[in-house]
Amino acid sequence: MVRIVVPAVWTPQGRTDFEGTAGPLDEVIRDFAARHPQFARRLLDADGTPLRYLNICLDDDMIPRHQRVGATVGPDTVVTIISPMAGG
Amino acid sequence: MGEMRRIPGGVFRQGTAPWVLDWLEAADQPLPRLWFADETPQVTTVVAPFRIDRFPVTVGEYARFVRDTGYRTDAERRGFGLVYTEQGWAERAGVTWRAPGGPGTESRDFDDHPVVHVSWNDANEFAAWCGRRLPTEAEWEFAARGPDFRVWPWGDEWDVEAANTAELHAGPLTSLPAWQQWWRAECGRHGPVPRTSPVGSFSERGDSPFGCADMAGNVYEWTATVSRLYDDTVRCDPTVRMAMGRYRVIRGGSWMNFRYQVRCSERMHGDPQGWSSFAHGFRCAADA
Repeated sequence: MVRIVVPAVWTPQGRTDFEGTAGPLDEVIRDFAARHPQFARRLLDADGTPLRYLNICLDDDMIPRHQRVGATVGPDTVVTIISPMAGG
Repeated sequence: MGEMRRIPGGVFRQGTAPWVLDWLEAADQPLPRLWFADETPQVTTVVAPFRIDRFPVTVGEYARFVRDTGYRTDAERRGFGLVYTEQGWAERAGVTWRAPGGPGTESRDFDDHPVVHVSWNDANEFAAWCGRRLPTEAEWEFAARGPDFRVWPWGDEWDVEAANTAELHAGPLTSLPAWQQWWRAECGRHGPVPRTSPVGSFSERGDSPFGCADMAGNVYEWTATVSRLYDDTVRCDPTVRMAMGRYRVIRGGSWMNFRYQVRCSERMHGDPQGWSSFAHGFRCAADA
């Protein structure tokens, strides 16, 4: 099962873990935003493209911005979304 | 370049005491306890004597560096910068340290404001040019509060007139929706232009025990320190944990923040790979 991990401040309850889908990374992000529309403005631009300033780790590997388009999320991957400024 | 303060060495308990987390949890603020856990536990830290800028580096000072070296910042090279719009964070073409809200926002009025839209590399290049360096995280915190714990540089009682925070502009803020409402109105009137203030505007009222100004609010400040937890076993936000070893520590909070995010021991962590925003600046340090 794919897990998607977001900052605790994204929900009023402080929830950080969500279920996701496998597949091309950009599609995984779009699907996650579609199923949790409260996160859409944090994940996608006005055209529905995943925001590139966010950092994304697949398990322990941070995927460089220029490699996002070709990245794929496997079936048991943890996708961690890290703001360029974390914490605070 | 700018005036420096000599800071005597010392031993102090770096980080946030447990009672502060209790206080934050009970306070009328929206962020969860987990969010602040990376500030704990306190660790005993020895700081050697050093010097640190009294003020953040200004736009005018950065302009001298650029004139002297021809340096182009990461934001200038890639052609866009990050601002907070009415819809949230957005990458805007032409946003740079010269034009902090985008094309048309260049102004000599910013010359005595802290420079923004500087990445970690941009800050280090400036520091090297003037024979200085970025402060370590420990140096920054020691300069902000001295050897004894205090919540803000001036003490433990909040003083809205002592620092440039969102509350100075908007009045008391206790929720993210209230903050967003204020910023949407500001953006509607002026666009996404930073609400920085001339450095030293809050001296001496907001100064640290060593006379350093703007250490709470105005701009977030880069440090030299690679982000690490004070204790690997601490339970903290999982995305903050993933930033450890990858990001660099940022201190001081900014004009965008509530009072709780401009505390002396508050930690933030920034992507050092060229990222910057319209609220991020720095000050320099040097060995004593």
